[in-house]
Amino acid sequence: MAPSTYDGVAAVLALLVLLTEFAMLRAPLLRSQVRLYAFQSFVVTGLATYVAASKHIDELYALASLSLVLKVVIVPSLIVRLLRDADTDLAGSSVLGVASSILIALVVAAFGFFAVGSLHVSSSSLPTSSLAISCAIVLVAFVLIILRSDVVSQAIGFFSLENGVSVASLVVATRLPLIVDIAFLFDLLVAVVVFGVIMRVHHARNATLSTSDFDRLRG
Amino acid sequence: MDSLNVSPYGVQAIQVLTVLLGAPLVSGVIAQVEGRLQGRRGPRILQPYYDIAKYFSKETLVSNDSSWVFLVGPIVAFSCYLTVPLLIPVLTTFPLPLGFSGDILGGGFILALAGFSVALSGAESGAPYAQLGSSRAMTFGALIEPTILFVIFAVALITHTDLPYALSATIRSSTSQMVRPSHVFAAAAFFLVVLVDTGRIPVETHSGTLEFGMIDEARTLEHSGPALGLLKWGSTMKQLILYTILINVFLAPWGLASTGKWSSVLLAVTALLGKAMLLGMVFAFIDNLFSKLRLFKITEFIASAFLLAVLSVLVFYVGGG
Repeated sequence: MAPSTYDGVAAVLALLVLLTEFAMLRAPLLRSQVRLYAFQSFVVTGLATYVAASKHIDELYALASLSLVLKVVIVPSLIVRLLRDADTDLAGSSVLGVASSILIALVVAAFGFFAVGSLHVSSSSLPTSSLAISCAIVLVAFVLIILRSDVVSQAIGFFSLENGVSVASLVVATRLPLIVDIAFLFDLLVAVVVFGVIMRVHHARNATLSTSDFDRLRG
Repeated sequence: MDSLNVSPYGVQAIQVLTVLLGAPLVSGVIAQVEGRLQGRRGPRILQPYYDIAKYFSKETLVSNDSSWVFLVGPIVAFSCYLTVPLLIPVLTTFPLPLGFSGDILGGGFILALAGFSVALSGAESGAPYAQLGSSRAMTFGALIEPTILFVIFAVALITHTDLPYALSATIRSSTSQMVRPSHVFAAAAFFLVVLVDTGRIPVETHSGTLEFGMIDEARTLEHSGPALGLLKWGSTMKQLILYTILINVFLAPWGLASTGKWSSVLLAVTALLGKAMLLGMVFAFIDNLFSKLRLFKITEFIASAFLLAVLSVLVFYVGGG
């Protein structure tokens, strides 16, 4: 049996978020990673709006517009500005080749899929597969953080991990009080500030964005 | 039987004729659109027909180092391309008598046999560039194979069969079938497979003359005369066959004939060629947007197609998608 049209569209949107995560893994330029993050946040916002419109949950509109402003506009433009100031090795550094890192991420994502899929968590707002997809998003974000050895990619990996968690919260806690959601977004803002400071300090000290210099225990 | 009706075997013959005679037209339209997009006037729409006619009036030159395989390859490939339209829904929604003599795998095998015989004939030519083309075509063909398999898995999971007619009918049955994630992703993966198999831009410049980037095109460098004509004609047919599968099985299985009436069959022929030209324009547009990948970057492109196909199967198992 095919899932209903609503379920199908929602799952396609969630999979699109996952696909963007894979695209980040593949993107060689840091700037294109930031752009992909903005696109991913846009898709998450779209998913939230779609759920709000179909299930008539007005609070989600507020959340969607907040995250649209914050995650699609403010955070990416902040990171791009930091990159412009840093003005150094813009091409990211992956430990593995593209094809093999995608295959690894695929295996990890499949693990996430089946691990969560076997829990049989059902939700009234989104199809079950969305929870599995959000788990896969989080795991692939971890792969991105592990395989890339520069500060910006790791920050982007962390932010996109938050996108995965947003999708998960849409599935299991659609009617979450707005104040809790705003607290999450505030957390994200704090993370942006912290990562921004790390990027600036690291770049000022070592004149690079690579984390491979972190293993030297000197100030 | 009404005199206005075509017999099912007749429709099947018309399917083959549509692909045989319509394929160069579709290629001509694509070349014309591509020319316009690049700011040229582009060749005439009927140019592929003139080219093929010209090849058939020329003599065939065969190298001293090559054997009969060199000459038989193009003929085998051409007859393979004539066979595949019997198995896939080209014009009708209802299955035709010979439509069940092979499933998607059967069609895939026949297309693979065609590719194999052209590659063998190129390898047999004794010329380095044709051999390079054959070797590359076989390598990338093997790399794209897992993606095709996973697309077939997705189709089999959705329809419980592996008949192209069944998927086509399932897609037509409701919107929810059209937007279900496993179908969307399988269709996207197959789109990329068509891009690879027809030698379009992210993978290969199909009109280029530089041997270093050539894959499929290089195989035919040594052929001449009618053999080359068959190869060129065959490659336009292969393109139309893949377009037909993409359109009538995955993307837009509408406008097909549901009865055997002459009028509806003729309408279906027009609709198919129109849809194929539209799809061709999309491919020409993609040609214009992207640059060719370096040869060793093609694996990345194939990996992304594989990713889409695997995701479509995974999401089916997890959410019934």
